[in-house]
Amino acid sequence: MIRLHEVTKAFKRGRDGEVVALETVSLEIAKGEFVFVVGPSGSGKSTLMRLLTREQVADAGEVWVAGKNLKKLRSWKVPLLRREIGYVFQDFKLLPNKTVRENVAFALEVIGRGRRDIRDRVPEVLELVGLTDKAGALPHELSGGQQQRVSIARAFVNNPRLLLCDEPTGNLDPATSVGIMKLLDRINRTGTTVVMATHDQQIVDSMRRRVVELEDGRIVRDQVRGVYGYGA
Amino acid sequence: MARWRYVFVEALAGLRRNLMMSLAVVLSVTVSLTLLGASLLLSEQVDLATDDWTGKVEVSIFLCDDRTCPAITTQQRQKLQEDLEAQPVVAEVFYESKREAYDRFTRLFADQPTLIEAIDVSTLPASFRVKLENPQLFGVIKDQFSAYPGVEEIVDQRDVLNQFLRFTTLVRNGALIIALIQLLAAGVLIANTIRVAAFARREQTAIMKLVGASNWYVRLPFVLEGVIAGALGAALSWGLLYFTVPRVTRDLAREVELLPFIGLDQVIAIAPIMAAAGIGIAAVSSILALRRFLQV
Ligand SMILES: Nc1ncnc2c1ncn2[C@@H]1O[C@H](COP(=O)(O)OP(=O)(O)OP(=O)(O)O)[C@@H](O)[C@H]1O
Ligand SMILES: [Mg+2]
Repeated sequence: MIRLHEVTKAFKRGRDGEVVALETVSLEIAKGEFVFVVGPSGSGKSTLMRLLTREQVADAGEVWVAGKNLKKLRSWKVPLLRREIGYVFQDFKLLPNKTVRENVAFALEVIGRGRRDIRDRVPEVLELVGLTDKAGALPHELSGGQQQRVSIARAFVNNPRLLLCDEPTGNLDPATSVGIMKLLDRINRTGTTVVMATHDQQIVDSMRRRVVELEDGRIVRDQVRGVYGYGA
Repeated sequence: MARWRYVFVEALAGLRRNLMMSLAVVLSVTVSLTLLGASLLLSEQVDLATDDWTGKVEVSIFLCDDRTCPAITTQQRQKLQEDLEAQPVVAEVFYESKREAYDRFTRLFADQPTLIEAIDVSTLPASFRVKLENPQLFGVIKDQFSAYPGVEEIVDQRDVLNQFLRFTTLVRNGALIIALIQLLAAGVLIANTIRVAAFARREQTAIMKLVGASNWYVRLPFVLEGVIAGALGAALSWGLLYFTVPRVTRDLAREVELLPFIGLDQVIAIAPIMAAAGIGIAAVSSILALRRFLQV
């Protein structure tokens, strides 16, 4: 599903300074896996995610996602790549003037899916995330956990092969986070590959999934059934 | 179908959200295209005025027909023609009979029946129409032939025409230059408006890009927003010309006789050009404005 080969990504800082966000990172993630990406702030987790959606392009090395070499991907084909990827943010990024149903439907409308398709698929996904009864609500009428469910519904509505979550529980309390994790687990069980960047030690420890740890842009640990920190 | 509706709804919402700015865009396009249209019409007017007759003839020697002087005799006319042909500064001589003058007049003013009704075959004088080797040498002809019996008047057509043409060309070029500057300003204004619109909707745009909306689909509402404003400006300016130009030329035609003026036909003919200019400038400046802003 994902293959990174000696990927390096640096950002300019100031006049001639440079920050290396990722340094010769190699990583393979198979179809259907659930992978945590952990590491301190600034270690390169979000940068890794952005390389996978081709928001950013690696300076060196190769990034393969869903069988495509992203360096060689023509820019008009980038949207097609992104239709195979769902993306969930820490801050939800819902459109404030659209209802829950409209927010989810939006993701299908703008890629040209038919009206009937949308009418069938949106309630299905809302049921999956447990928000059927909130379909007509506006985002500000929802709790943080509920908003994150909407955002997951939007990411998943097009049946992506890959779900990328950048600290999806970062703004949520522990109890709510558990609910979100259950949802992501359920999505993962449908065969969707899930990659989740997080700081949340409890979650990582309780799930016992593969853990990739970054530090200063390098992979310092890749454990099959890992926990958040060393030695735990 | 649903996706096209989205594009339109978004574009209209964008125009409404920033009504003052949209208004400024429409008006600035209107002003620039009105000037552009006016200069196009002036060109048409010049072409029309320089048509076959006025364009080719340099000197007209009108012949007497008993109105102001005793009618020219056949002999006098033959002598005049022979002497004209023998004169070295003369390049070509045509004789135009009263009948031919009348036919040409009715052809030239086909759209002004009142003018045609006012004359008949006998009204217009016969003439020799003379082309000179060097148009400056009008004086030679005038001096030599004014006193010929049967010659009523010798007129330098270029003189009349040139004054008119020089003035119109000046006005047309002025209008064209101002129109182009205005059009440029309108383009900058459109680009700026679209950039503001794109910034106002950056969150929505970011989400669209992330879920895989194609690049043109992300941009289209913004481009359409500009294009609608541009088209509106084009329509307004064309409407302005449509209602004013025929009126003005009708009045002018009453004042200035014997010169054909443009009318509604020419205004209608420039409609596609104005629409293309309005839509084109709007589309180009919108696309340029979005190029950096909405990069994947
Ligand atoms: N667009 C950018 N421009 C400049 N520097 C950037 C950019 N994106 C990331 N960086 C830098 O790259 C490094 C890695 O950033 P990244 O966002 O990947 O870290 P992170 O692991 O996601 O951190 P956090 O846990 O705080 O979200 C940081 O030093 C950051 O300042
Ligand atoms: Mg981050």
